[in-house]
Parts: sequence; structure tokens; C-alpha cells
Amino acid sequence: MESAIRLRGLHKSFGDTIAVADLDLDIEPGEFFSMLGPSGSGKTTVLRIIAGFEQPTRGTVSLFGTDVTSLPPFTRPVNTVFQDYALFPHLSVIANVEYGLRVAGVGRKERRAQAEEALGAVRLAGLEDRRPHELSGGQRQRVALARAIVLRPQALLLDEPLGALDLKLREQMQVELKELQRSLGITFVFVTHDQDEALTLSDRVAVFDAGEVVQLGTPREVYDHPRNRFIASFVGSSTLLEPDVAAALGLARTPMAVRPERVTLAESGPGVPGTIAEVIYTGPEHRIVVDLDGLDARITALEPNIGAHHRRERGDRVMVTIEPAAAAPLEPEAA
Amino acid sequence: MTTHRLSAYLAPRRRLRLASLLTAPVLWLGLVYVVALAALLVTAFWTVNELTGQVQIEWTTENVVEVLTEALYRTVTLRTLGIALLVTVVDIIVAVPVAFFMAKVASARLRHLLVIAVLAPLWASYLVKVYAWRALLSSDGLIEWAVSPFGGSTPGYGIVGIVLTLSYLWLPYVIMPIYAGFDRVPDRLLEASADLGAKGWRTLVSVVLPTIWPAIIAGSIFAFSLSLGDYITTRIVGGSTQMIGTLVYTNVGAANNLPLAAAISLIPIGIILVYLAAVRRTGALRSL
Repeated sequence: MESAIRLRGLHKSFGDTIAVADLDLDIEPGEFFSMLGPSGSGKTTVLRIIAGFEQPTRGTVSLFGTDVTSLPPFTRPVNTVFQDYALFPHLSVIANVEYGLRVAGVGRKERRAQAEEALGAVRLAGLEDRRPHELSGGQRQRVALARAIVLRPQALLLDEPLGALDLKLREQMQVELKELQRSLGITFVFVTHDQDEALTLSDRVAVFDAGEVVQLGTPREVYDHPRNRFIASFVGSSTLLEPDVAAALGLARTPMAVRPERVTLAESGPGVPGTIAEVIYTGPEHRIVVDLDGLDARITALEPNIGAHHRRERGDRVMVTIEPAAAAPLEPEAA
Repeated sequence: MTTHRLSAYLAPRRRLRLASLLTAPVLWLGLVYVVALAALLVTAFWTVNELTGQVQIEWTTENVVEVLTEALYRTVTLRTLGIALLVTVVDIIVAVPVAFFMAKVASARLRHLLVIAVLAPLWASYLVKVYAWRALLSSDGLIEWAVSPFGGSTPGYGIVGIVLTLSYLWLPYVIMPIYAGFDRVPDRLLEASADLGAKGWRTLVSVVLPTIWPAIIAGSIFAFSLSLGDYITTRIVGGSTQMIGTLVYTNVGAANNLPLAAAISLIPIGIILVYLAAVRRTGALRSL
């Protein structure tokens, strides 16, 4: 099968700074693909090159088998949902959604019908005549989505579309985005710096750091088997174990990352003894920091909140164990 | 200690604070601006003693009727209106691409230089600039020298000279609001338009122009109203051309008929009020 989006040797530098470094990437049709990374890691630049807003310094972009590297944005079969929505302030909601259809020369009636359908798909029927400044952030977000999907693009590019929304709304929009992607059946390329969002929504995640993809895989692969220190600490939280500590815990003598929810604490039994240094109550769970005896190392464990009568205190003695399968060996750092 | 006590006294008294802050400027504005304008309006209904030449407080509508009915005033009003509109159009045609270049194309450094270049002429005396144009337009001036090898000749002193000079004078006032207007159009909007399939010209017509339209109108208010009242330029580069301003000037000076001058000056005030009322709908007054 042909890739929806194929990047080969993609390189982009702005003056002396390298934004994207010789990137090869294949995004499949119908895939929800996330590009995850801290700001300045090059993920947005890649998205803008796919959309055609930036020209790569070298390398090629192919969309569905066609090389589009030198084509302007208005000829590419993709549409973009912008971070700040970029709605046309002088046009009503319905006119914003109809814009692309009007440019394409679709007749008035047909245009209206398609725009209404798109607004329905993002649950925004009834606000057709409002201006963008009369809408809430979440509503603007939906207009931006409707405006992009009404053109039935082969791929939808989303640049941190949920970044400006508050937590509750963001969670709701995540669910709706996923549903929308499933019902449209098209490729979504989703740029975010929020690892939660990337893990929740994606079929595959590419983790960006300094212009390169440092890990590419399903959310489970990326979360359970982070390849290096950067990914282990950027995607979710982990305790990094030095080789000596890993060995003391019965693991291989190599740098390891372990997720706090995979660390088991017990009053007695096997394991490495330690003293609880801190207990942090987060609501659904307790985050417990343990000083390991004689190792000069700390490890963090998560325990579910199962009631006030069952809880650990600072200074308690515990035994720490980690299943070998729960720890991910890390690649040695490039010096 | 006393300042402390004073601020403690004023802190909860909002009206008193506002009053002490605004009384002087409001009085000033009231006297200098509103009263002067009212005096102008009233004077239009007074008469001049034919013997002494003194203004008499003797109420009459003669001046206003004369201004409204005499063919001379109609002709001059139409000519002034035409010149003002032409100046406005010329300025907009020049200002839009310049402002676009400044706001969207030029590097930050070049942009600063251009802003300075646009504003710098405002520091020079108005009169010097108009005399400079008089020299440019003269029959042995720079324009004649530049175009005569190609069979052209200088437009000389007249309506063309007035339009050229006024367009030059008011250009900064038109460029600046339009530049600010372009500056406020986010690049994202242009990208969104391209993303939705629009080519450059389509984006210009459907996105850029509607967004900066109020700024263009704002700029036009300056060019139009400043041209409407001008008389110095007309006298210096206009040859024998009469505009409303020169008529007012003649009646104040040579004809010594202040009430008639006041009545004539009601014409541009009326036109400007109509113009402002018309552009108020575009929201342009908010982008001044």
C-alpha cells in the first residue's frame, strides 16, 4: 500500500539552526499519527513543510505517491487546523466553513449543504451566523475543524489544536477528534507537546527531539519501552536506574527506566529495603518516593488510593521489587 | 507626610480624582475647540457694515443662502471635492503596496528604516515642502528637465500640481494606518487561505482587503479632510485655481467679509460630517 505521507531526507535549517535533520518518515492512510516533542523539536516545522507553508532545505515530500515538494499549499490534498485556529474574523461561522468550497467554485446551494453537514459533524449546528469573536475557544476550535474537513482532504494536519483549551474541554475534544477520525477514515497528523494526548489518541507516535525522530512506535511501545533517557522522562514519568541500582534490584547491569506504577512496595518479603522519604497525595493515587538502603538512589512508586485506613507514612520501612519485564533498558547516551 | 495624607484622602474618592485630573484639559478643549467652532457657526449669520467694514451682530441668512445658491460656490465646491477625492485615491494606490511591503515583506531592520523614512517628512515645514514642489513643477524645474527629452513637459501650476503636491503631503498619514492594518493581519490567516485552496490574488481579495478595509478608510479620512480645507498649497502651486480654502482666505483678507467666509467654511465642515457618517459604518473610526 502507498504511504499517505512519505518524507525522504527531509532537512530544514533556519540560518545556523537545524529545525529538521534528514528525516525519513512514512505515515499510512487512515492512521492517527502524532508528532510529539518539546517546543523547538522540529515537529511543527515538519507539519508546515507537509502543508506547504515552508520549503525544505532539501529532501522530498510525497502525498499519496505524488511528489509535492515544490507545489504551493493551495494545490495539496491536505488541510490544516491551526494552533490559534486562524479563522477569518470578517466572516461568519458558515462563511468560514464555506470558504474553501467557494474558492473551489462549488455552487451556493451545494456549498451551504456541505458546510452545514461539516458543522453538524463537529456538533456546532445553530451558530452559523456568529462571528468568530463571538465564540468560545472550544467553539472556534470546532469551526476550524469543520472548515478543514469540509474539503474532504486526504489527510488532516493538526497543529497543537487543543493547546489553548482548558483541561475538561481538552479531554472532551480528544474523544471527539478520535471519533471524527474514525468516521472520516482519513489520515490525521497531530502535532502536540502533550504526551498524554499523544498516547491517548494515536495509532503511532513519533517522538521528536532536536529535529530528529528519536522513537517511532505505538503508544504502548513508546511508553513501555522508551529507548533513551530523553524519551523516558519526556513521555510520562520514570525513574532512571543506574547500572548498579538496576543490578541490586535483580535486573540487568545496564541503565534502565522504570515507570512508577510498575514498582511494587511491600512491608516484608523479597526485594531491596528502603525508607519512605515522601508521600504525595494526588487524589486517585499516592506517589511514594523511597530512599534505597546503601545505594544512594531514589525510586518512585505509585499506589492507588484505596482508602484512608490503608496508607503509608514518611519514614516507613518497605521492600522494593520490580518485575524484570517492567523495566526498559536504555540505549547508552551519545557523548 | 502631606502627600501621603492627600493620597489617602483621594484614594476612595473616585469622582474627585477624575475631576482634578480632567478639569483643566476639558476647559481648554471646550474654550479653544468647541467655542471657536460655535463662534464660526454663529458668525455665518452676522453681517458686515458696508461703510465701516465692521462685523455687526445683525442676524441674516443672506450669507448662507448666497453660498448655497451662487454658481461660483457650487463650481468651487465640486472642484475641491474632486481634487480631495483624487488625492485620496492617489494616496491609497501608493500607500497600499508600500504599507504591504513594510508590514509583510521587509525584514525587521528595513521596516524600522522605512517607518522612519515615511515619518521623516512630517518634521519638515509644510511651507518648505510646498515650495519644493513649486520648484519641481516650474517651467525650468526638475520635472521639466526629466520629461522634456521624451517630449513631455511639466504639468505646471494648476489642478495637476495641486493633486501631486497634496498627495505627497498627506501620504504619511495614509501609509501609517494602512501599515498598522497590514501589521494586524496575522500571517496565519494568509496561510489558512492558501491551505483552503486560494491562490495569492484570491487571498488578497477575500481575506487581506476585507481585513484592512477599515485601515484604508481611516487613512482616507486624513487625506480627504486635509485636502478639503487646504489653501496654502492651492495658492503656491495652483496657479489661478480656486478651492474652498482660497475663497475663505480671500473673504477674510481682501474682501474683509468674515461672515461670508464663515458661511463658506461651513461647506467643508458639512462634507466632512457626511463623510464621517458614511465611514462610521465600516468601523474605520475604531482603527484611527
